[in-house]
Amino acid sequence: MTTSHSLAHEPSDLAAQDTAAVWPQTLVGAGVLLTGLALAFGAISISSEAGYGGVGPNFLPWLISIVLTVCGGWIIWEARSGGFRELDTPSGATRAYWPGFVWVSAGLLLNAALITTIGFIFSCTLCYLLAVQGLRRASGQPSGAVRTWGLDIVTGLLISAPVFWMFTQFLAINLPGLTATGWL
Amino acid sequence: MDIFNALMHGFALAITPANLLWCLVGCALGTAVGVLPGIGPAVAVAMLLPITAKVDVTASMIFFSGIYYGAMYGGSTTSILLNTPGETASMVTAMEGNKMAKSGRAGAALATAAIGSFVAGTIATVIVTLFAPFVAEFAVKLGPPEYFLLMLLAFTTVSAVLGKSTLRGMTALFVGLAAGCVGLDQISGQSRYTGGIPELLDGIEIVLVAVGLFAVAEVLYAVLYEGRVVEEQNKLSRVHMTARDWKRSIPAWLRGTAIGTPFGCIPAGGTEIPTFLSYAMEKKLAKNPEDKAEFGTRGAIEGVAGPEAANNATVTAALIPLLTLGIPTSNTTAILLGAFQNYGIQPGPQLFTTSAALVWALIASLYIGNVMLLVLNLPMVGFWVKLLKIPKPQLYAGILIFATVGAYGMRQSAFDLFLLYAIGLLGVLMRRFDFPTAPVVVGMILGPLAEAQLRNAMSIGEGSPMVFFQRPMSITLVVIVVAVLVLPRLARYWSGRKAAG
Repeated sequence: MTTSHSLAHEPSDLAAQDTAAVWPQTLVGAGVLLTGLALAFGAISISSEAGYGGVGPNFLPWLISIVLTVCGGWIIWEARSGGFRELDTPSGATRAYWPGFVWVSAGLLLNAALITTIGFIFSCTLCYLLAVQGLRRASGQPSGAVRTWGLDIVTGLLISAPVFWMFTQFLAINLPGLTATGWL
Repeated sequence: MDIFNALMHGFALAITPANLLWCLVGCALGTAVGVLPGIGPAVAVAMLLPITAKVDVTASMIFFSGIYYGAMYGGSTTSILLNTPGETASMVTAMEGNKMAKSGRAGAALATAAIGSFVAGTIATVIVTLFAPFVAEFAVKLGPPEYFLLMLLAFTTVSAVLGKSTLRGMTALFVGLAAGCVGLDQISGQSRYTGGIPELLDGIEIVLVAVGLFAVAEVLYAVLYEGRVVEEQNKLSRVHMTARDWKRSIPAWLRGTAIGTPFGCIPAGGTEIPTFLSYAMEKKLAKNPEDKAEFGTRGAIEGVAGPEAANNATVTAALIPLLTLGIPTSNTTAILLGAFQNYGIQPGPQLFTTSAALVWALIASLYIGNVMLLVLNLPMVGFWVKLLKIPKPQLYAGILIFATVGAYGMRQSAFDLFLLYAIGLLGVLMRRFDFPTAPVVVGMILGPLAEAQLRNAMSIGEGSPMVFFQRPMSITLVVIVVAVLVLPRLARYWSGRKAAG
């Protein structure tokens, strides 16, 4: 949905949109509020030793938790009283495309879980493969065919392997390999 | 004369073949990340921060700076040809530049943007050369109370003034401050918010936050909401400016530079205000009715030349507060500060004495880099435009591989990759609900430093907050912070009343 579409909305549509935004916005506020409270809970266990005028190691944590709690409350109030103020219409579609999100998330999480076991090259190729499948589906590109899978695996390898070699061989940065050779 | 000699030493160091190569690679990479959607200079520098473990400090700072200002050159190409500014700095360029491109003058728009960036970048570099040492000399006299207030000023402008909503800006800033709190307290050595997880004792790496918030969040956002967005690319015409284009561009470049440079110098960050100011000025100054009519219709060349120059001047001049005060005013300068910290160097007034060779080599490399960028961006613009042909799914999935290098390469911890994903999710929420991200990064980097200065100031004042009001410089800064907070609101209130009455 582009801005030009939303400009064309009837007033009743706009009102409906605002109502639809109340809950997500309230949840965001609640998230901030809970973060503030959780940080306050954590701040209790930080001592105030070595501080002048009450400004010790626990001063900033308390300040942060109080401000975030207040901001959270304020955000909830804004959400419930007409929505966020000065809000830019977010870019892109109004509805999220969740299947694509699952593909990309799977890629990222499997990469995190497997990188030390199967090495950087294969783990990143897997991440690339899953992410590109999700992104292809999101943009309506062909995705399921064997040829596409093959092409994506090769592309993933062609990016990850040189990146691995460049960083491990030339820049001496430790990245996990499947073998100890520094090449795979 | 001292400055001249120091600069010459800097040149001697910067033109060694290895450093020239780092500069060239940095500028080329900067142009590429500026052109490519989905990846900006902050995240590019962040992803490459692990190289600080092995590469010499001068070489890597020259390299990172090349990426930093190179991205400003590349950014204009995308905003002129695609009308999707990669960053706020190119928003104004996109307005007029895209209209020029649509009416078949893409080449002239690209030329005025590149040459304007060069003119502004070079003039601003001269100003950095001449003024940074003086600011450093002056800054030596500042104590913890003044430093704390300068940082408070940076926090205030980045969160409460630059963004649209003060509430969301403040929330983002305090989320960043909270992230900066995780780990060992630097003064007392107490652990804070580590939750018994040993990986968190060292704190959260800035690489994770920057790469998570910008790169991973961008990919997740693209797959969730932007899969079906189709972009139209304007045709590239011959990169050439007529005599009349030159006549209209030169004054606009100079005015843009004059507006942009002071904005970069003050610890108040952001390229939005100077670029918009420059645009408004060019629009107002256009006397010829024919030129005036081009604004917003066929695209006026001054509307590209002025803001592009302002943008580059701001970005270059922002190195003054970074190098002399250690205060970053944008995402990228915050990460550059992180790069210095990785070497155990704290930018600040002492930098000009303790690391003089490094600073002057860096400044010399700015002159060299600007020339390289002019060459990279004018005759070779066709090459960069080809980058826009990379299909988005492949580009975005490829970005994730580089994100892994940055996040994993820093500490060799798979835990960080899970954290990276979580931060990416936070970034998607922030973007969807219009929370600014710069306050998070600036808060996280500057928070621990500001806290240390505050605690030192309080110990100087023996526990009394009056220490912030008793020294002439600190009281001046308090007044500036209050003015920055109050004046825009008062102005809005008055203009509202005027409009109502």
